[in-house]
Amino acid sequence: MERKWNKSTLMGWQFVALPSALIIIFSFYPMLQSLLLSFQSGKGTVYHYVGLDNYVRLFSDPMFKQAVLNTLLYLIIQVPIMLMLGLVIAHLLNNPKLRFKGFYRTAIFLPCVTSLVSYAVLFKSIFAVDGILNQMLLSLHLIHEPIAWLMDPIWARVVIITAITWRWTGYNMIFYLSAMQNIDPSIYEAASIDGASKTRQFFNITVPMLKPIILFTAIISTNGTLQLFDEVVNLTKGGPGNATMTISQYIYNLSFVYTPNFGYAATVSYAIVIMVAVLALLQLKVGGEKR
Amino acid sequence: MAKKKWLSVFVLVTMAASLLAGCGSSGSESKTAEGKEAGNSSKKKVVAWAWDPSFNGAALKIAKELYQKEHPDFDLEVVDMAKADLEQKLNTNLASGVKEGLPDILLVNDPNIQKYVTAYPNTFADFTDKVDFTKFSPYKVEALKIDNKIYGVPFDIGVTGMFYRSDYLEQAGYTAKDLENITWDQYIEIGKKVKEKTGKYMTTINPNDEALTSILLQSAGSWYITPDNKGNFVNNPAMTETLRVYKAIADSGIAKPVTGWSEFVGSFNAGDVATVVSGVWQVSSIMDAKDQSGKWRVAPIPRLNVSKAVNASNEGGSSWFVFNDSANKDLAMDFLAKTIGGSSEFYERFLKENGGVGSYIPAFSSEAYGQKSDFFGGQSIYRDFTKWSTEVPGITLGMYTQEAKDALKNELPNILQGADLTKSLANIQTLFEQQVH
Repeated sequence: MERKWNKSTLMGWQFVALPSALIIIFSFYPMLQSLLLSFQSGKGTVYHYVGLDNYVRLFSDPMFKQAVLNTLLYLIIQVPIMLMLGLVIAHLLNNPKLRFKGFYRTAIFLPCVTSLVSYAVLFKSIFAVDGILNQMLLSLHLIHEPIAWLMDPIWARVVIITAITWRWTGYNMIFYLSAMQNIDPSIYEAASIDGASKTRQFFNITVPMLKPIILFTAIISTNGTLQLFDEVVNLTKGGPGNATMTISQYIYNLSFVYTPNFGYAATVSYAIVIMVAVLALLQLKVGGEKR
Repeated sequence: MAKKKWLSVFVLVTMAASLLAGCGSSGSESKTAEGKEAGNSSKKKVVAWAWDPSFNGAALKIAKELYQKEHPDFDLEVVDMAKADLEQKLNTNLASGVKEGLPDILLVNDPNIQKYVTAYPNTFADFTDKVDFTKFSPYKVEALKIDNKIYGVPFDIGVTGMFYRSDYLEQAGYTAKDLENITWDQYIEIGKKVKEKTGKYMTTINPNDEALTSILLQSAGSWYITPDNKGNFVNNPAMTETLRVYKAIADSGIAKPVTGWSEFVGSFNAGDVATVVSGVWQVSSIMDAKDQSGKWRVAPIPRLNVSKAVNASNEGGSSWFVFNDSANKDLAMDFLAKTIGGSSEFYERFLKENGGVGSYIPAFSSEAYGQKSDFFGGQSIYRDFTKWSTEVPGITLGMYTQEAKDALKNELPNILQGADLTKSLANIQTLFEQQVH
């Protein structure tokens, strides 16, 4: 007993005690409360327990299905594009012969420091009916009539995917770049001597060495996309129709736009939790260390 | 040594804890402390939440000045927030049951009235006997009535008109007479002529915005939902006609597509469109284009082709609520009742200083409401608007307006692409019913 509670472990516990307490109070306790809330339904302050009714409702709720579908669509299309783009750019920037490296790196990383709302507004003005893009296409005679990008279900999704990719590619690129710089150059040297081409080196050395980082970025990107909110709200408000509405926006609508039903909103949040957990598990299984 | 370490940890913990505690309650505590202090020093302070310092916030300041003449010890603090922030803050506060930090007076957007009163029972004060509601436009009072109690003081209205560019319409061969009491089908015909003669669009269209459908529905005394909160999409001639007209406008090519508010305002400020069908509060945005002075006029809005439809409707508007649990409840109610709820002088000043139009009928005959506007070619626009405001059909906005609008928005692209209207309306009805459960 005395062995276990010697001075240094005690000291260690003192250090973690405060953060743990804070995490329990501000993170775990609300999670538990919202889990309880997800079994209740009602309006505003009038709530009653409904058991699993909210969860059953999820499966017959067309708006929820639409939101999930939209979010998964962003996920399936946007995340692979962004990660591949990030990887390729990182590879190009890692070239020791490249000049003005600092400039390129900053330029590509810069979108990440812009606020989510302001870049969404910027994209909105670019893709407006009298926006700069339409003006450009018109003056190049590529189109005859301005295209209402944000009013067409397909184009609106394309705009959102473009915007998110612009914003987050640099962020992932930095991770890859720093990981690449940790790869021992002698490995490449040996590969060159053995006659491996640059492409071969990229796929057989760089990518496998970056696997843990790729996995990490895939998980955080998945997580981020499932919680997508600012961009969609500011670009399209979920429209046209509900063609671009995300799950997070649906939660917001349920709580603050519609007659407030925080119980059902909590249920939808837990649906996200479950989806994130399942997807992360899947990614770990596919790309993780253990076979 | 060990003692010292323990001490330092203890100090650290207490410091962090006090810091956090400070964060948590400082906002509300300082406010109540302020209020109490103010109360002791014979000034009675009422706090109000509003969302536009140059409009509803300014209105409160006028009301404060008027009330202070009789009650010199009265004081009012207006807290300005963005509208969405205000609504979010209110919902979280009320749902969590934390009453401190809430104001005494609250500005409520009319479509939210039923929602708040039903979702948060016993939260808002009953004004039924405090204000003479017969002096207000009936449709405004109707919106505030729930179970025969009236829960607030009617404030600004959004009585609609058809703003038009007289120069464009003249070029197309139309005079002011031709625009009085027309139907929407006539409007579309005029629009085609305008497009042909001037190359300008007649109006704008934004499938993401429900403003136009709302105006059309109310002009026929109908709404997205019935007074008992059921979907009102099937077997509703007004709804069918509204969507027919909406599609006709979209198909006719007379409407310029816009994706947001700034584009919408930009379209008429840049002179791209010949008409704007909107609430009276649009006057200030229209007058922003100084170079267009004298070219604008206002006519009544076109009419739907159904029985009971009129050439008048409403877009937007808000009302003032008081919290039941407020420490200054009686004072806050008296303040609102004596100013916004019953002072012609308030409405005259509000119109002159901020261009705001209320629903207080006695003020309509005042000089301020009769003034001629040079920007509108010498037309007494406010006299016209207030005249139309008494014709607006009264409707119950119900609890689920936003849900119903979103259900409609979901199907609108299909309708515009030519899907069978009866079938689409049935779809919307089903979607709505699944939503409100």
